[in-house]
Amino acid sequence: MRVQKSILCAAAAIFLASAAPCYAGKVVVEGSTTVLPIAQRAAEVFMDDNPQVEISVRGGGSGVGIASLLAGTCDIADSSRPIKEKELEDAVSRGKDPKANVIAMDGIAVIVNPSNPVKSLTKKQLKDIYTGKISSWSALGGSGPIVAVSRDSSSGTFEAFGELALDKEKVRPDALMEASNQAVASVVAKTPGAIGYVGIGYINDSVKALELNGVYPSKETVLRNRYALSRPLFMYTNGKPDGDCKSFLDFIMSKQGQILVEKEGYIPLGG
Amino acid sequence: MKKWYLLFTAAAVFATAPVSNVRAGEIDILLDKLVDKGVLTAGEARQIAAETKEDVRKEVAAGKSDTLPKWVQNTKLKGDFRLRYQMDHAKSSHNQTKNRQRGRIRVRLGLESKVNEKLLVAVGMATGLNEYTTSNKDTIRSTNQTLGASWSKKPFNLDYAYAKYTPMPGFAVIGGKMLLKDAIWEPGDLMWDTDITPEGVAFDFARNVNSDMSVFLKSGFFLLEEISSSNDDPYSIHIQPGMDVKIADGISLRASVAADYFRVRDFTLKGSSVSNTGSYKSGDNSYAVPMANYTNIMPALELKFSDPFKAFHINVPQLRLFGEYVRNFADIDPYSGKSGYMLGFGLGADKVAKFGDWVLKYNYARLEKNAVLDILPDSDRYEGKTNIRAHEIALDFGLGENTWLGFDIYRAQLLTAPRAPSTVVQVDWNMKF
Repeated sequence: MRVQKSILCAAAAIFLASAAPCYAGKVVVEGSTTVLPIAQRAAEVFMDDNPQVEISVRGGGSGVGIASLLAGTCDIADSSRPIKEKELEDAVSRGKDPKANVIAMDGIAVIVNPSNPVKSLTKKQLKDIYTGKISSWSALGGSGPIVAVSRDSSSGTFEAFGELALDKEKVRPDALMEASNQAVASVVAKTPGAIGYVGIGYINDSVKALELNGVYPSKETVLRNRYALSRPLFMYTNGKPDGDCKSFLDFIMSKQGQILVEKEGYIPLGG
Repeated sequence: MKKWYLLFTAAAVFATAPVSNVRAGEIDILLDKLVDKGVLTAGEARQIAAETKEDVRKEVAAGKSDTLPKWVQNTKLKGDFRLRYQMDHAKSSHNQTKNRQRGRIRVRLGLESKVNEKLLVAVGMATGLNEYTTSNKDTIRSTNQTLGASWSKKPFNLDYAYAKYTPMPGFAVIGGKMLLKDAIWEPGDLMWDTDITPEGVAFDFARNVNSDMSVFLKSGFFLLEEISSSNDDPYSIHIQPGMDVKIADGISLRASVAADYFRVRDFTLKGSSVSNTGSYKSGDNSYAVPMANYTNIMPALELKFSDPFKAFHINVPQLRLFGEYVRNFADIDPYSGKSGYMLGFGLGADKVAKFGDWVLKYNYARLEKNAVLDILPDSDRYEGKTNIRAHEIALDFGLGENTWLGFDIYRAQLLTAPRAPSTVVQVDWNMKF
């Protein structure tokens, strides 16, 4: 009889743990590599303040995160894009209710060396530069050859730039690939003919940010939806967040959480 | 209170407007006004806009779900059509030249339906002969249909039909007549013609070790013939452990070792003919009877490089290098050879998806007489026979979305005299739907 009770208790515990993971003191976060730095930093600080909660953060990409959320193997899906139509239909057919929680904005600034007379580009000109159709500044009001600088292909900024600016076309093969936003800014600052792109938080006095379609990249223009190279960053939950999931998301949207967002180079929504 | 009223109004505009009329511009103007009036911060406005748009999209998806029957939502149809010109140029054992030109088609239609979250059923039909005939040098594994015969109606047969049960992520059990890729991985087609659809049960397991490495195990038990007069039937067993490794940024490796056992000795195999080249004894109706059980070990390797010529400013999306080796450990005629290998590369796009995409492929295959059962190899390469060596070069070029041209040339000959060299040229127009 005692054995039967133990088995029943264990089964009940497993059922409760799987049915309500956010209440079990453990939150699994999975998905976008762009959102990953925010999730990781926020989890560290949140767990310091809430040692009874364990937050496990994994990358894998937006699609992986959303698939895991729909399969019930994670509690929060990080995504740098809205959920796709097919994923929504899949969610509905599985009886899931993916709820979008916007936690920050991602904005990418196009920068050149301060000596470059060019102040503004159209989105098409930017695409033509990075896909190799335009190779000289003379076609754009400057002079000399263009040195294109890009983030390396494993970065979330590279992925975002490819989607927002290049319509998923490939970056020209002669582009210099740099491992960080700081490295891109540094190369552009030292190279007269260089053009690069960085998170808006990385604009500094050593480089000149260009207007795109007549709009200067800033927190204000991104938040007012004026600037083209920007997008919301999501943390999807299954239904309205509750329990530890809600506490964690509330923390990210708090003033302290949004400061972490800004420190990671993204644009906070407020707090 | 005013703030909540305005927020409610904004949300109501999203929620009540017909989906086709929801215009992002109008929504943004309204939110901008709320920001200008100091009701919302710009961040709050962006959050509301993005989250509400997502809610509306979800409602649309739910609406679709309500209007379409469940079985329609759970079922997918797919297919393809290929129009082929083929020229065979062969020299016979008496050194006489023979040319043959053919118009050929291939049609495949497939349907797959989710029975529930863990169970999927798939059925496919394809052109092709359903039985080997000595008058036609095609083998039973081909899906090509030669045009002619006074415009006769052409056979359209069951190509595959299987159930796939996935009790947990990374593990699936497949039963029925299944697609080759579910049961076996091979980077080329040295041993297995890619049109083969094995019959039996297979187990497909895959697991991530870390972010740079995963392992897999494919295994299966397959029925080769059913002999009504006997309770002892020929079968095969397949076990294939392997791994995927990300070696560096843009470089990945897939490697495996497959072990296959074919219990075929003294059984009549309908897919094999006495005109084929393995060590067989003649059976009834021109079918062949293998003289031994085959035990094959096949290591295989595939290396993929993304943007391989970037340093030279040449834009080629992918380079694929592969190699495979097969050896038969059966106790059978040691003098006629029991091993084979294939080396090859692929260059260009990962797949031809739009106009201008291209893929160039080349491989060299050498397959000794008793290396593998000759019911298995590519039916286009020297009519699927063993005891051959062959070069194959192919180019696919995208004509538009879901349609491409293919050029494929095989140059092959026997390993032993008479060499009887053969050249096959195929020009294909492919359409996928």
